[in-house]
Amino acid sequence: MRHDFLDRYSRLDSPIHRLPTTAKLLSTLCVISATVTLHFTHAWFFIIVAGVLLILSALTTIPWRFLFGRLMVLEPFALGIAVMALFQENGVFVFLSILTKSTLCLFTVILLSNTAPFAEILLSLKRFGVPKLLITILALMYRYLFVLIDETERLNRARSSRTFSNSPIRKWHTMASLIGQLFVRSTERAERIYAAMSARGWK
Amino acid sequence: MNPAIEIRGLQFRYPDGKEALRGISFTIADGECVGLVGPNGSGKSTLLLHLNGLLPESLPKDPNVVVYGRALNKENAAEIRRDVGLLFQDPDDQLFCPTVYEDVAFGPEQFGLDKEKVRAVVTKALETTSLLGHEHRSPHHLSSGEKRRVCLAGVLACEPRVLALDEPTSNLDPRGKRNLIQTLKSIPATKIIATHDLEMVVELCSRTIVLDQGTIIADGPTHQLLGDEKLMLAHGLEKPHILRHVHPH
Amino acid sequence: MHIPDGFLDAKTAIATGMFSITGLGTALRRAERHVQSRKIPLIGLAAAFIFVAQMLNFPVASGTSGHLLGATLAAVLLGPSAAIIVMSSVLIVQALIFADGGILALGANIFNMAIVATLCGYGIYKILQIFFRGEQGRLVAVGFASWCATVIASVFCAGELAWSGTALWGTAFPAMAGVHMLTGLGEATITMLVIAAISKTRPELLEDNDQAVPANGRSTAFVYVALIVIGLLLLVAPHASPLPDGLEQVASSLGFEHKATEAPILPSPIKDYQLPGIPSAGTATIVAGVIGALAVFALSFLFARVLARRQKSAVHPSSPPNRQ
Ligand SMILES: Nc1ncnc2c1ncn2[C@@H]1O[C@H](COP(=O)(O)OP(=O)(O)OP(=O)(O)O)[C@@H](O)[C@H]1O
Ligand SMILES: [Mg+2]
Repeated sequence: MRHDFLDRYSRLDSPIHRLPTTAKLLSTLCVISATVTLHFTHAWFFIIVAGVLLILSALTTIPWRFLFGRLMVLEPFALGIAVMALFQENGVFVFLSILTKSTLCLFTVILLSNTAPFAEILLSLKRFGVPKLLITILALMYRYLFVLIDETERLNRARSSRTFSNSPIRKWHTMASLIGQLFVRSTERAERIYAAMSARGWK
Repeated sequence: MNPAIEIRGLQFRYPDGKEALRGISFTIADGECVGLVGPNGSGKSTLLLHLNGLLPESLPKDPNVVVYGRALNKENAAEIRRDVGLLFQDPDDQLFCPTVYEDVAFGPEQFGLDKEKVRAVVTKALETTSLLGHEHRSPHHLSSGEKRRVCLAGVLACEPRVLALDEPTSNLDPRGKRNLIQTLKSIPATKIIATHDLEMVVELCSRTIVLDQGTIIADGPTHQLLGDEKLMLAHGLEKPHILRHVHPH
Repeated sequence: MHIPDGFLDAKTAIATGMFSITGLGTALRRAERHVQSRKIPLIGLAAAFIFVAQMLNFPVASGTSGHLLGATLAAVLLGPSAAIIVMSSVLIVQALIFADGGILALGANIFNMAIVATLCGYGIYKILQIFFRGEQGRLVAVGFASWCATVIASVFCAGELAWSGTALWGTAFPAMAGVHMLTGLGEATITMLVIAAISKTRPELLEDNDQAVPANGRSTAFVYVALIVIGLLLLVAPHASPLPDGLEQVASSLGFEHKATEAPILPSPIKDYQLPGIPSAGTATIVAGVIGALAVFALSFLFARVLARRQKSAVHPSSPPNRQ
């Protein structure tokens, strides 16, 4: 199975995709900082941000359905926490303010992650002085995420082809031993990766 | 001239007690291409890991692996790893960087080449494996054949004198296999190829070593060994089709 | 528990960011010093592993499902420094690629889920291991520690929301703590099951994780837990008392308030008003928490017993008959 669904659009060719990743990363940070810190009464600002984001997404040529689909997947979590804001004086105002801000920020990050490949984001982070060890670990993690998802799928399929009960207790047991097996395999793979890294002169 | 690889009485036991190699000795001359065949679990991968000093975990006092006249020990392991390029059985283990370019550049960077040199070496390796233009792709978007070629490029970029390849053609379709064999033919290095693909051995290697249960069963010219139906069957192998009409002796 | 952007104001984001950078930085430095280079790929793989484990759904009643957080699991499997790096990496990738959890809120999320939850889980696990030994003891410790880690992390999360003026402490604390006392049950069960599964197939993986920790692991465990308890008291105590604006008070005594007022571009629009009667909800939550902890401990104990017994009976038939 292929897992490009996770970062399917980050390698498209559009004016936005062609911009340098560092610039995109920095502008994302700026937009988010401004959105978060500015008081909600400055409605004009939020309208402008929304407009700019929409124009940018049009330029990226990423399908709208995908972008809004991502947003809809993530929005419920924000909503769940935002509800707590209602129980206070002026609650509705706070609620709306938070919801607007978080939606704009979510959309900004969705745009970033679908126009900049993670490998390049890592390179930018390295340039900003993020410790080398952390970069190495993030790179390894991102690389093997896909391999592990594949492995999980295979393990899961092998299990379900031999599982004949539907009880949730059984299900929890099988899921947990699947996670256990996944960890055991990860440690074994880590050993082999270490060998491969040493074979090409690591440390 | 020193032989490329010399192995004397190599024994190895995995920590769980499994005896994988029981007294292996052979010599490979510079420029030779040797096939290493044998059934599953015969110790082929284990042997190749030894060529690179990756096994045993702590290198022994009196070394039994000698590469171009240097006995492999703790001090020169790094240097010898540069001379022996190892292609692993599972490409996913070997492709650990987020992009193709970074992965191929990993070895040269570790060896301390400067940026321009690295770029040149990487470009050359990608060209040999016909991967130019794939530099910025992520490994998880590649097909098995492409993954395998990237691994090979990563090994070639270290400019090794010996190539140790562990099942280079597994998971490849016939065309991928053909391309890989052509690529390997064009590389002048000394080669030792562990594989179940006997047709490839016939095509590439003049000499074959048959391994079973951690010991060398036979060592000789490829046509003679692989054409010996009795020997092949006794060790879980099959006489390859191209040799059907050839009779030993 | 992933806080999205927009829920925290600047002072909270900056303060938690500082804490996280310090914590993660320390973990990285310790890992560089104490972890052998052959374990570095394992940290990367473990991060991918936790990420994937979090994606798996465990069915709960009526079609809903829960999933793992994994902080305690990581800490038990890898030791605290590696676990902090693992959990932080998971959160960073989730924030940057999946927009799950905010970018500016990353500091807070790392603080709650990668630092507090990990240290708390690890500390409680290690302390309980002093009193409960053997296979069953390990499982009891794992179960209780993961429940506590989840609940305590959620209390910190509530504290940050309240401090930002997003929600009243009187609302956020009971809501967050209450919900996570329940989801913590799932976390504890899954973590116990996973550890039991691993100790059945590869027990040695559970033994050598302490290499990453210097020998005095136990006293460090006490220090972690003590620090977190002090933090919790600072967070909870002022609110449980009838004094209003307790967190603000703590903040001002620590000097954060000062900083926040110095920077007028970073407003915190709504002040934290306490409604009359709300403190009792806070108190009720604390009481519920204590009772819950006792109950969870008892449950972990029983469950561990069942699991440990199953393990034994599972081992017996497969072990070869005595050959004299
Ligand atoms: N990490 C390990 N720990 C313990 N035993 C191992 C390990 N790796 C391999 N072995 C054992 O050592 C023996 C030789 O294994 P090896 O992988 O070298 O065989 P192989 O010839 O490469 O087999 P294949 O054709 O299947 O790749 C096998 O019996 C195997 O079970
Ligand atoms: Mg093999």
